[in-house]
Amino acid sequence: MVIEQYTITTTPKYNFPQPTIDTTLPQRLIEQSISSLRHQQNHAFQLNQQGFQQTANMDLHEDTFQLRMQPIPLKPIHEETTIGACDTSTIKIGETCTGMLVAVRGASVLKKHKSYRYSRLGPFIFHITEENKKEVYDALERAYFVSARKQGHLGLANLLQNPTRIASLLERWLQATLSRTMNGGVVLFDGSLTAGTGDTPVERLKGILLNARECKNVVLAFSKITNLRINGHLITDVTLQQKTPYLLETTGLRPRPPIVLLGDIYVARLSHGSFAFRLDIDKENTYERRIEALGKLMGNDVLSQGYPETLRLAHILCTFTANEVIAMQHFVVRRCRLNIINRPDMHRLLFGPYGRGESYS
Amino acid sequence: MKLYKKEGNILQILSFPNETVEKGDYLLVEDLEARRALIAQVIDVQFASVPGVLEELLRSLPDGGELVQGEDFDPLEIAPHIAYIQDASLLVCKIRATVENENLSPSSSWLPSRSQSTIKKLPLPTLLKLAKIEGKLPIIIGGTKDSSLLTIDASHLDGKLNIITGKKETGKSHLSKLLMTSLVGYKATVVVFDLNGEYISLGMTSDGKRNAHHDKIHVLTPGQNFKTALKQVNLHVMLGILIHALHLPGTSAREFRRIWQSLKERNMLTLHEMGETIRTWNCNQHVRDALSSRYHALINSGFFTDNVCEATLLEDSLFRAKEQGGAIVINLRNTSAIDRQVVVEYVLGRLVEQLTSWNLKATFLFAEEAHLYLRETYWDDIVTRMRHFGIFTTFITNQPDTVKENIYRQADNIFLFNFTNEHDLDVVSRAARVDAETVRSIARDLPPHHCLTLGKVVKDFPIVVKVKAIDVKTMGETRLFFNDMN
Repeated sequence: MVIEQYTITTTPKYNFPQPTIDTTLPQRLIEQSISSLRHQQNHAFQLNQQGFQQTANMDLHEDTFQLRMQPIPLKPIHEETTIGACDTSTIKIGETCTGMLVAVRGASVLKKHKSYRYSRLGPFIFHITEENKKEVYDALERAYFVSARKQGHLGLANLLQNPTRIASLLERWLQATLSRTMNGGVVLFDGSLTAGTGDTPVERLKGILLNARECKNVVLAFSKITNLRINGHLITDVTLQQKTPYLLETTGLRPRPPIVLLGDIYVARLSHGSFAFRLDIDKENTYERRIEALGKLMGNDVLSQGYPETLRLAHILCTFTANEVIAMQHFVVRRCRLNIINRPDMHRLLFGPYGRGESYS
Repeated sequence: MKLYKKEGNILQILSFPNETVEKGDYLLVEDLEARRALIAQVIDVQFASVPGVLEELLRSLPDGGELVQGEDFDPLEIAPHIAYIQDASLLVCKIRATVENENLSPSSSWLPSRSQSTIKKLPLPTLLKLAKIEGKLPIIIGGTKDSSLLTIDASHLDGKLNIITGKKETGKSHLSKLLMTSLVGYKATVVVFDLNGEYISLGMTSDGKRNAHHDKIHVLTPGQNFKTALKQVNLHVMLGILIHALHLPGTSAREFRRIWQSLKERNMLTLHEMGETIRTWNCNQHVRDALSSRYHALINSGFFTDNVCEATLLEDSLFRAKEQGGAIVINLRNTSAIDRQVVVEYVLGRLVEQLTSWNLKATFLFAEEAHLYLRETYWDDIVTRMRHFGIFTTFITNQPDTVKENIYRQADNIFLFNFTNEHDLDVVSRAARVDAETVRSIARDLPPHHCLTLGKVVKDFPIVVKVKAIDVKTMGETRLFFNDMN
């Protein structure tokens, strides 16, 4: 059983650019984690498996949105190329009387010389309260992205969104690290290349893409789920008689400010009988480089069900299992001497067998 | 440790990696509020069903079955906690007793508090003390896992039916020698049917010197130093031999009785006269042939003699053993199957005679692989009739299915060595004094020379013990072809 958890979604917030990115280990994450936990010793602790609400409120003009039905055929290129991917995950591990305990973990995976190698960071456990949520986030942001975020901006984010933002911060840091440390490779992102959201300022994503290009890397962002529709149908549901692998190009998607699309959007069907995915490719790359990058991806990585194995591994490695959640609860109880309390389930209490429990609510 | 579940007399206890508990260990589940405690024995150790473990394991093997290499940067050191949870185990325990005011009762009908109960390992010395297993006639069986000695009371073997079983080379004969010498030490009379000549050196130390029991061990080898004259045999013993060992039909047995009485009246009970009488006896030719063939079987056994000086009276050995204790080892090695049955019929017949007439108080009989010489009807005799005469049998076998089921049902004590075969375990688990789960689970994992002791000697608290070494010359070793080459 995997505990219900969400990967990061972008929110429509704007941020200023920042010039440099530190690629050392995320020391500040540890400091903030320990610091936030320190203030929580000897308190009561309610185990809770509820996940976070995702906010997917991207504002787009879809009236001009088009899907070109001329497929772009793709061919694998077997030239040795490094494939890199990263992903992060966050989960709530319990509640306290003032806030909640959350865990964040990130993983990056490199496919090189026909073997995979991973690097996993975390889990980092944070105690987030209304009082410290801004402090924790800002400290982390300043440490890694020398943030130029507008003051008061984060005050709009509620407590429940905070863990996803911390995870998003870690993910951007991992993406930045990959983009700068790889050379001539293909960098895979989980999600889209949409910027201008609360946790992804335009300049930050632009900086990551610029770094990637400077190091001759091409960024491909795969979205597992998309809401983009043509004539009421999801773009990934469109099927053609064309032999796979192929791309379908979209045009005319205009996001409302401050949202900015830093990539061109495609529908990628990369293996026979497989699923199609929304694929965002860095706009600044030429058409040839984009097609070449996809060819190298197909020639160097396994594409089971049309999804790159490197990215799948990154997701698998950062996802929390129920066992790990129990272990982290065990950790906080031991380390912070928290007392576990069992808060009555109001649904069960009021509705008996007809109450499905709070976790379903 | 935490109490997780109770179903019937089975407890499930959650245990963590720093708590080392193994199969066979005893736990004390103490409910301080109820002022009672349960004594439970671990019969199986399983992985606790921790959610997410499968995902955890699958995650480590996605690269074509090979481990994905990489680094984990785990600053808070959560990994040991994950391993701690992942390696949590579930102890399946059988409730053996309830302790209340230091008194034991076999009850398991109450439920200790799940949240308040404390669970700790119960050291075997404490259990032995609680259960009052030691008695006035201690026999040290060996050492338990926590380095204490398991001492049983010889009186719990008295009047009891015992079974020593396990697959070969696990130490059955070793334990039976230990029990035998200990009983002899308490001046008991022991008779051993020694199939492979394993017990003939019980009176010698491993380096060939005489040991303390030397004068109490009487080895009788049929045809050599163990012969009998017809005059010394009672008619019903001889009829027993002819009917049960040599399968003489009823009509012929009647004629034999007449011949015997005729010879006895004339004081001519010798082999020679019996042969002549059979030859000239006025009877049906088929009957004569039947008697003649049995007569020659008796002659060929070499067990019967006309020379009274050459004959050894079993009673002499029994009387010698009666005073100071002793073991009469009937060495059946190199004895044919038929002759073996003749000798066993004779010995058992004589024993019953002696016990019936109260010449002998009681005898401990050790029968190794008894199915090779005991007739079908003796099994029931041994557990019912002979027990009342004072013959207390210990069966030793590596083929548990050769011992009849009712023997297991009525066995008072079982010394169980390792078995891996399911069929063998099934057979032994029919014993009334133990539950099938305990037998199946614990016996399968017993190392050599370790035995699971069940029954009255341990007050029905199954205890695993490593049988102690005894300084006796080993005679039961298998002869090997490649011995000299090594």
